[in-house]
Amino acid sequence: MPELRRDTIIGRWVIIAKERGKRPYDFVIEKDRTKGGFCPLCPGNEHTTPPEVLSYGRPGHSPNGPGWTLRVVPNKFPALVIEGDLDKRGEGIYDKMNGIGAHEVIIDTPRHDETMPMMSHEQLIQSFWAYRDRIVDLAKDSRFRYIIVFKNFGRAAGASLEHSHSQLIALPIVPHRIQEEIQSSLHYYEYKERCIFCDIIRQEKSQDIRIACENNDFITICPFAPRSPFEMWLMPKKHQSSYVSMDENQFRSLTELFLETMRRLDKALPGVPYNYMLHTAPLRSPFLEHYHWHIEIMPKVTTVAGFEWGTGFYINPTPPEESAQFLREINLD
Amino acid sequence: MNKEKILVVDDEESIHLLYKEELEEEGYEVHSAMSGEEALKAFDALEPDLVILDINMPGMDGIEVLRQMKQKKPRVPVVLSSAYPEYKQDLASWASDDYIVKSFNLDDLKSSVRRNLAKSSGKERLS
Repeated sequence: MPELRRDTIIGRWVIIAKERGKRPYDFVIEKDRTKGGFCPLCPGNEHTTPPEVLSYGRPGHSPNGPGWTLRVVPNKFPALVIEGDLDKRGEGIYDKMNGIGAHEVIIDTPRHDETMPMMSHEQLIQSFWAYRDRIVDLAKDSRFRYIIVFKNFGRAAGASLEHSHSQLIALPIVPHRIQEEIQSSLHYYEYKERCIFCDIIRQEKSQDIRIACENNDFITICPFAPRSPFEMWLMPKKHQSSYVSMDENQFRSLTELFLETMRRLDKALPGVPYNYMLHTAPLRSPFLEHYHWHIEIMPKVTTVAGFEWGTGFYINPTPPEESAQFLREINLD
Repeated sequence: MNKEKILVVDDEESIHLLYKEELEEEGYEVHSAMSGEEALKAFDALEPDLVILDINMPGMDGIEVLRQMKQKKPRVPVVLSSAYPEYKQDLASWASDDYIVKSFNLDDLKSSVRRNLAKSSGKERLS
């Protein structure tokens, strides 16, 4: 019989169609055909992007020229603009404000065809450092209240360029999905005086059936009520509400486990399109006892259709216990 | 003096009529292509100074045409012209030199053409 599972944090319901338990090889993944050709993100084409706001590279590399190992550039055709005032106002019962924000693209690597699982640890760590550096810099702008960092990989996940890139959007509001997560965590904390994420980690450690991989400082689990097969959450084991609070050693440890997670996923579902999103405390928040930053990784193997849009329920044909076991048993040697 | 050549690529006849009239009035030589495939042939044969390119077309879409044109001649400015502003969020459109949303008011189009032609011919540096 199918099982209805409730997400402990925000209360979202998921239907786990257990008897149809799909194994990784049951999913047909259409790999994107590599087109090659002109790419605005490749070295040598720096003139086709707006001037960079950050770059890492070989010593002495010049800005907006080759020699970089990672670049961050503003969106060439932004939907939100960085100049201006918010001018919050009402129109009857409706609220509006000017479209102030920042939208940046993090070009993760100079190599056009290098995907995240293929990257060296040293290359990958640069992306995560860049997320931190840009959040810290944009947080100085008091108009921004939240920065969402995400990555789309593969056309089905919304990426139209093959060249590996992440994105960052600074917003003048805290998005509803994050508000909901923080509020629900606060309710739990008020009731139990514990962080709900810390409790999830404790339970997952003791049950040991939904852990995909872990190291000393971080853990990747397939959550109890996942929206899609092989959904994963990567979390720090020690309570921490903001991503930018990590020290250098934690960054190394995070990226080690992130790389392992992505390599396991890529072995389970080769070339699978995916999105990942960084959920962290709003800008300039004090240390929050009730909130725990994490990364949500969502492979795109199922389609969101009318039932999901209409009800907010998701139908998942693969129980997370099976996804986790499969991921855990993958040999990465 | 030779007129600067503009290639307009769009599958809508009305857009060709509108753009041709306005751009010829500005002193440009305007050529038309009704599909992506036709556009690539015209791009090779005419050697235009600038291309105005629709995104949504049957067959090869504008983004693919843009990619191939930039592969052949990266310095020829290509201005994307679409009725859909949301395509601006598509990073593949970054290969273009400008993005304008189709409108009956052609001021944005004309100023984009002037600006991008000046940039590619180096006149921008003199002004």
